[in-house]
Amino acid sequence: MIVGGQSLVTSPPVFSHDGKKLLVCTGCTVSVFSTTTGMLITELEGHTERLTSIVVVPVAGTVGTKFSNYCWTASLDGMIFYWDFSTPDLLKKINVQLPVHSFVIPNILSASLGRSDKASQNLYAFISVEDANKGVENGKHLHGSIQIYDLTNSTRAGGVLAETHKPETLAVSKSGEFVGIKKKQQLNIWRVPNKNLKSVNMKKLKLHHTRTLSCLAFHPTKCIVAAGDVSGRILIWRGFGKMRHSQDGGGKMKIDMGDRPGVRGEDDADSCSTWHWHSSEIKFLMFSSDEAYLFSGAKEGVIVVWQLDTGNKTYKPNIGSPLMYFTDSPDPSLSCVSCEDNQIHLLRMPSMDIIKSISGIKPPLILSELQGDRSRVIIGCDRSIGFVALPTKDYRIQFFSLLDGTDISHLQVIERNYDPVDETTVFISLVEVSDDGSMMSTVEEKLPEMGIGGLISLKFWIRGSHTGQYTLSTIIYEPHNNAGVSDMAFCPGRSMAVSTSYCGNFKVWVNNSSFIHSGDEIQEKGGWRCQSVSSYKEIPMTAAAFSGDGSVLAVAAETKITLWDPLNNVLVAIIGDSLGPIRRLAFVGSSEYIMSFSSGTKADLVVWNISNLSTHWSYKLLVEDICCTRSETRVAVLALLSSSDKSISTGKDGMVLVFDVENPIPVSTWFVKKAKGGRLSFINNKLGEATDGKLLLAYINGEHNYVLFDPSNVKEQEDLIPKSARRPQSYAHDENVSHGYASIYGELPSFDLTKARSSDSIPFVLSERPWETIFSGSSHALPPLSKLCSPFLESLLQKAEKQTVLSQ
Amino acid sequence: MYLQSPLPLGNCGTRLCFPYEELDVSDLNDWTPRPWLALQNPSEAVTRPPALSTEYTTKTKRSEAMMADEATRRVFPTEPASHLRPRSRSVKSLVSTPESSFWRTFRSSTLHPSYLHLPITSLSFSPNSSLLAAASSTSVRVFSSLSLSEYDPTLFATLPLPDLAYSPSFRCDGALIAAGCENGAVRVFDLPNDKPPKTLRRLNAHSCASRVVGFPLLDHKLRLFSAGDDALFVQWDLPTETPLFSVPGAHRDYIRAGAPSPVSPDVFVTGSYDHTVKIWDARVNSGTSSVLSINHGHPVESVLFLPSGGLVATAGGNTIKIWDVIAGGKPVYSVETHNKTVTALTLAKVRDDTRLLSVSIDGYLKSFDFSRFKITHSMRYPAPLLSVAFSPTGTIRVVGTNNGAMYMGIKKKKDEFEDQVGSDDFAWSVPLPEKPTSRKNIRYFKRGQSEKPSEGDFIIKRPEKVKLKEHDRLLRKFLHKDALVSVLKTQQTTSIMAVLEELVARRKLIKCISNLDNDELKLLLSFISKKATQPWCARFFMDLAKWVLEIRAEDIRSGGPEMAVHVRNLRSMVAHEIQVQRSLQEIQGMISPLLVIAGK
Repeated sequence: MIVGGQSLVTSPPVFSHDGKKLLVCTGCTVSVFSTTTGMLITELEGHTERLTSIVVVPVAGTVGTKFSNYCWTASLDGMIFYWDFSTPDLLKKINVQLPVHSFVIPNILSASLGRSDKASQNLYAFISVEDANKGVENGKHLHGSIQIYDLTNSTRAGGVLAETHKPETLAVSKSGEFVGIKKKQQLNIWRVPNKNLKSVNMKKLKLHHTRTLSCLAFHPTKCIVAAGDVSGRILIWRGFGKMRHSQDGGGKMKIDMGDRPGVRGEDDADSCSTWHWHSSEIKFLMFSSDEAYLFSGAKEGVIVVWQLDTGNKTYKPNIGSPLMYFTDSPDPSLSCVSCEDNQIHLLRMPSMDIIKSISGIKPPLILSELQGDRSRVIIGCDRSIGFVALPTKDYRIQFFSLLDGTDISHLQVIERNYDPVDETTVFISLVEVSDDGSMMSTVEEKLPEMGIGGLISLKFWIRGSHTGQYTLSTIIYEPHNNAGVSDMAFCPGRSMAVSTSYCGNFKVWVNNSSFIHSGDEIQEKGGWRCQSVSSYKEIPMTAAAFSGDGSVLAVAAETKITLWDPLNNVLVAIIGDSLGPIRRLAFVGSSEYIMSFSSGTKADLVVWNISNLSTHWSYKLLVEDICCTRSETRVAVLALLSSSDKSISTGKDGMVLVFDVENPIPVSTWFVKKAKGGRLSFINNKLGEATDGKLLLAYINGEHNYVLFDPSNVKEQEDLIPKSARRPQSYAHDENVSHGYASIYGELPSFDLTKARSSDSIPFVLSERPWETIFSGSSHALPPLSKLCSPFLESLLQKAEKQTVLSQ
Repeated sequence: MYLQSPLPLGNCGTRLCFPYEELDVSDLNDWTPRPWLALQNPSEAVTRPPALSTEYTTKTKRSEAMMADEATRRVFPTEPASHLRPRSRSVKSLVSTPESSFWRTFRSSTLHPSYLHLPITSLSFSPNSSLLAAASSTSVRVFSSLSLSEYDPTLFATLPLPDLAYSPSFRCDGALIAAGCENGAVRVFDLPNDKPPKTLRRLNAHSCASRVVGFPLLDHKLRLFSAGDDALFVQWDLPTETPLFSVPGAHRDYIRAGAPSPVSPDVFVTGSYDHTVKIWDARVNSGTSSVLSINHGHPVESVLFLPSGGLVATAGGNTIKIWDVIAGGKPVYSVETHNKTVTALTLAKVRDDTRLLSVSIDGYLKSFDFSRFKITHSMRYPAPLLSVAFSPTGTIRVVGTNNGAMYMGIKKKKDEFEDQVGSDDFAWSVPLPEKPTSRKNIRYFKRGQSEKPSEGDFIIKRPEKVKLKEHDRLLRKFLHKDALVSVLKTQQTTSIMAVLEELVARRKLIKCISNLDNDELKLLLSFISKKATQPWCARFFMDLAKWVLEIRAEDIRSGGPEMAVHVRNLRSMVAHEIQVQRSLQEIQGMISPLLVIAGK
């Protein structure tokens, strides 16, 4: 079973201490990616709910730098785990019992520094937890609370620091001195004392603003805090907390009101300045490691670099998606930015060039402003190779390999540039890939403005030389006059396709193109033409399917199924009525059955017998998708559970049923989550030789998480959210590529004063007579003298020995 | 037919932009819709001709156009096959390389210093005072190079020598000249400007002809070296006339060639008929053994240090060889382009480069680029050549023949930057950094254009410049109304349609319409009234007309007669269209029963 499609951008990623690995929260697991290759190295599995925070233990000093790959993770299942992510091993489990939404360890640097000499120092974490059982206080529901947790002793330290309406994200300064949250229109900041960490002796500082704040960031060293609000303004408070924190309960100094520009009321800060460039809610703020710049980002997809002293700004445009998080690494030349389209771009720092992109499956298109049936975006699926074609927001199609869990390629479908700020006026409404993947068709819709314009165009693509590469063959503008295309189907084994429309006709398209070789390119002459147009009583056509051998075309005219001879355009038969308008048709393998389902108030799932034109069996089920194998008689159905069902409470709103078509009793059943908008498909298994030939069932849910499994092997279990791993794409030895000094001279032997290391740690091999070769070569290529010294002296000793032997 | 132009859009250059691409109607000429299409609904679908690649580059567009062009009419140009054309030598020799064009700037002339037809054995230019010394017969004649261009150049001086004269050599400051003699004596002369030359020193050590005499190239004015047929090599101290360093039996045969090093006043090279070339260092007093001995393989006629001082060029037999003396006499390169014995070598300054000039009995002068190891030019003379010299200023080339004639080439016009070249150090200086051609010169702008890519070169095409039209430029600046007005002025229906579509996609059309002023509104109305009922765009324009009339009703009413005309035109056009539709429906009503009957 293969699981994938998790979002990479639910929470900020974290770099490992050497900047060579990137830890990303992907659902219940932490995926460790290599920053040099952008490939998955390993996964940390153990949590049962979505992960929210990762804290990597920094390395202090030089002792054992190579081996300390430790991190803390927190999850919504109320557990905090301590990992060694190089092996990967779970080292420690702490149960907090409440869902942890955010988690920081302010004194992690000092704790790891002082571990050797002062073992008694405890590791304290600030956690932001959700407490649903919290009572109503003053008529407000305060679900979130900030608490301090002693990680060393696994106990709560003191009471609740703050209570918020919903769990807030904690921010911590790099030095670990301050911890803060945003709370509606104010910032709450605590100074973390060096010892005796108790909630009672923590003083809270409040900074006020007139708008709801969305994020905050602390300056690495100075008393500066930056906060962004929902209107796109950035506020910089300088010198905050001088009175409150330093006086520490002593006599409150009178604040000189005149000297503090921009500071509201009694707020404890020297000055507050406001910068405004973004037009929407600030998503992230981050001070650069050299303390001179502030990075900010929002929906525009532009990273703005503010010079902290002057407020001058430079931009990094062309990221092409709303931004989510910005993370800098210990390596000053590397950082990464997370985008809403499920991509993490690794940036080379001063120039902000994208070095590598880690891209997951694209999130589904959300077209909330569109009306009813048009909002259905159909995604294509290639059965032979096992990839899906997903329409994305930026007018492209992403080809995503389900078996490998990797992004294959992107195809620009609409000739426009995407701007995240613009409202959607053009979108890809349908993608259909032929069974063998050699042909693809897309339908794009341009929405009219106040009834003017609007255009639907159909594009046919043919596959290029390698997977995921398609070239445009034909564009057909307004294939069905003004009406939308409801469904497309490709005829197996023939260059033929059918498109059905809501205006009551369907068209059969054929490709009679000839190929002309001109130079190294193959030019296609001709293209897709309409072979025939047919209609049935002017009833809107809603679905189409070809039989396995391509000889019968079934087109659904609302509640009826019409069977046609596609070559001669002759109506062969009509099969009776379903309850509602049919949404999709599928021929069951090579058998005499055809399957249909309809949606709406009278939803049903019907299996029809073609030979006697009658209903074979039917269910009253609200079905989201069906899928049939080409050769066998198995069918898979994704059904939505109605709200009265009990499973709704557990978040599972759908089920996957596998039938044998002869028998109305399902062979097996699984319950799934987020089935709305889901898709099922049988794909060929190419993973192992043992299972070769068997079909895997792919289920992609509404959030584009997916699972691949062999329906005959997997037991009927509660849900299809298993924890088994994807295959790592790269292996550990990729990480052992040494850089700089080590790549030339080999690893330096670790230097231990207490234990004299023998000379076996010397990395280069000495010849028989080292004194002859050891100093040869140019001086810049020689190993350092300190390393040459001991072998050279040793060699001299041996030489003398031999001589003495000879002389004896 | 419905054509649509995908339009670029951009945000002040911050976003990627598609090149503007317009589907030309002529492209579609051979793409007439099929009968069914025409019957079905003319406002409907059109298949887009040949494959449009996903990259939307203009390149594919280009190749499309090429394809279409080739398909319609193929051109067979009438020209003879290349291998049948006569191959003319003149054409070949006229192939212009920078080197040949340099040598072509020399105007050649002939000079007979003595009318006795005696061979000119040696030629030498003064390092700084532009004097030329030619050894011929029993005299060394010194010419002023300024007068060489005249038909009968004035003789500057004639050095008196008792016997056949050999190897005149100027001192580095040009004040003294030394020459060898058949009887072995080496004489050093003073060259005052107005008085006849005076013999300053007589150096007597050689018992046979002193064929090689030379001053050091460096600023060492009191030394001289000589070598001769008695295989004796001597370095002299001039003031005292005593040998400082003397090697009797330096070679086992006549010494006929010698040269000083350009980097050290104490290093010399000699070449002999015993096939060897020897390097001497006066600082090493090691008897008769040389520092380095190289076997050239033929009797050595001429040797030369190349300007770096690390390479030695030797000529003997038909070959010129380059040796690396620093690497212990390693042969670097061998030139075998002459057909007969190479007699003399010299260095020449060609523009900013230095060339090795060689002359031979076969009458050829060849220019050898020793940085690229390539013969860059060759010139033929009607007589066997014995000596060659090239002026330090780079303007005069002299070759001496065995019949007493001197062939000269004098540069016709001086390049402006050649004047600045120092006089005395031309051959031994590090080449100056390359100067850019002056921008005033037309050649500056054409430089490198005639370069042809050679086999295996990776050719990088210049990215095709996307030509944006006016309305595209305005759309990129988000000046939507201006874009609409500018495209309406072009009167091109397809472009107007494309801009309108783009405005719809940007949700700006209604705003544009309400912002148009009266003149612009007239423009729009006249366009709509013309095109509104055209089948392929009727649906769009009928909606648009409705909106325009609705939004701008006030302006149209008060817009004057011109506006009224447009509206009236529109109305009549719509009325006409309704009439057409009605008659079409009648026809359809008549035909459809017939079709039903035919179907049965």
